Amino acid sequence: MLRSCTAALRTLRALRGRREGASPAARDPVLVRRWFSTEKVIPKDYALPNPSWSKDLRLLFDQFMKKCEDGSWERLPSYKNSKLVKEQLSQAQLFTRGYEDGLGFEYVIFYNDDEKRTVCLFQGGPYLQGVPGFLHGGAIATMIDATVGMCAAIPGGIVMTANLNINFKRPIPLCSVVVINSQLDKIEGRKFFLSCTVRSVDEKILYSEATGLFIKLDPEKSLI
Amino acid sequence: MMRRGLQVAARLSHHGALPGGPYILPTFSPASAFGSSMDSMVSRFCQEKTDLKNYALPNASWCPDMLNLYHKFLEKTKADGWIRLPSFKSNRNHIQELKLPLVLTVSSDKSDCHIFTRCTETEGQSYEYVIFFHPSKKKSVCLFQPGPYLEGPPGFAHGGSLAAMIDETVSKTAYLAGEGLFTLNLNIRFKNLIRMGSLAVLNVGVEKVEDQKLYIPCVAQSTDQQTIYTKASGRERLSPRPCPATPTPRTNRKGMLRIQSQAGVQLFRVGLDTCRRHRQSEGKPN
Repeated sequence: MLRSCTAALRTLRALRGRREGASPAARDPVLVRRWFSTEKVIPKDYALPNPSWSKDLRLLFDQFMKKCEDGSWERLPSYKNSKLVKEQLSQAQLFTRGYEDGLGFEYVIFYNDDEKRTVCLFQGGPYLQGVPGFLHGGAIATMIDATVGMCAAIPGGIVMTANLNINFKRPIPLCSVVVINSQLDKIEGRKFFLSCTVRSVDEKILYSEATGLFIKLDPEKSLI
Repeated sequence: MMRRGLQVAARLSHHGALPGGPYILPTFSPASAFGSSMDSMVSRFCQEKTDLKNYALPNASWCPDMLNLYHKFLEKTKADGWIRLPSFKSNRNHIQELKLPLVLTVSSDKSDCHIFTRCTETEGQSYEYVIFFHPSKKKSVCLFQPGPYLEGPPGFAHGGSLAAMIDETVSKTAYLAGEGLFTLNLNIRFKNLIRMGSLAVLNVGVEKVEDQKLYIPCVAQSTDQQTIYTKASGRERLSPRPCPATPTPRTNRKGMLRIQSQAGVQLFRVGLDTCRRHRQSEGKPN
């Protein structure tokens, strides 16, 4: 739904800096320059393997890292905290990175610029339970929103979820790994139309399908 | 809830969709085991005599709006037929006597599992909420205050956290009102942001029950309650799965959610269909 602008912007800056090689400060819009504070500490990138990752997740991660070697795919870094505004609550942290290793959301998102596609490898931990033994629908919705939102944010900049429509086909077992595949279908002005599927690692089980509508925000207007 | 889960699993395992399947599940009906009335469902769910920690009680992190509305609804529980739902660490705690078959168990230690919306112990950090349910009207009100751990855009709640709260409220309502278990569809339209630490009031009601599906629109609003309940925005065809007994795909309505905050109108559109397994095979009325 509501894209985490902080994570998206930080990722965007990292991506564009790597891709084009230019100094981010020289190219970024004024708003981004004003929003990013000086960072003295390198934040931890959570989109990397840790001991809680299952074998399936690690295997998939390695497969996609191989695909990154020729430049067609990129791994998106993922940070915990927002440094965009000085008035932020000191405790605030990105929702999906607020758990200890393995208990909540373990995920990494890869992006393919040519295909305008994101793939998220997601392992939902025991703190995301709904019906006993299965992932909470809201947890799935959160990850779909994160993946689809990133797919819109990379080409679109600062975007906000306007609509999210999810069909749940199968319940997802807790602690299993799923692949969330999101595609940018079309752009109409400031509207970004995307679709998404959630499948098992072997692609045999379709867990969910979703469509999303994201709106590119006007950087001159405030969020509320 | 458990019966629906069993039957979904039975169908999945029959189609070979579950890993490690197929399993033949025993015919099991929690409703018939415990009685099928809504009152007995509610009383089993609520478990007044328990040592489990109830998270749906006021604490120091609740904002004044939330406390005021909480006390207002608590008064209504005395005479107007409302029930305050307790909230334990896991859904498993709400229905302790039921044992799920092997196919629905997970490899991790069960004691580690938390329901998604009760994932932190520290007051005020993530989800602070309480749900009031009205059995005869088949509707619920959820008072929800997002904490700093639910941040999305700086200073505002992540949309996924609101989606989770909507799903949670609707699921609990569907379960108590109609034995619904798994969400079939969630359609949310977001119009505005919820500031962290402020109160969002979710109004949920069962619109209709048709063909093993519960249609449950949801209205979310700010404390000033200037709610506008709009018309359904459209129709969509539902896949018959996980209810293959339905001969043709049925359409469902999308309800509309609106949130109004003091800053303006926030609109959330939700149409939610929760599938309920028909009881014809067991000879029970729906």
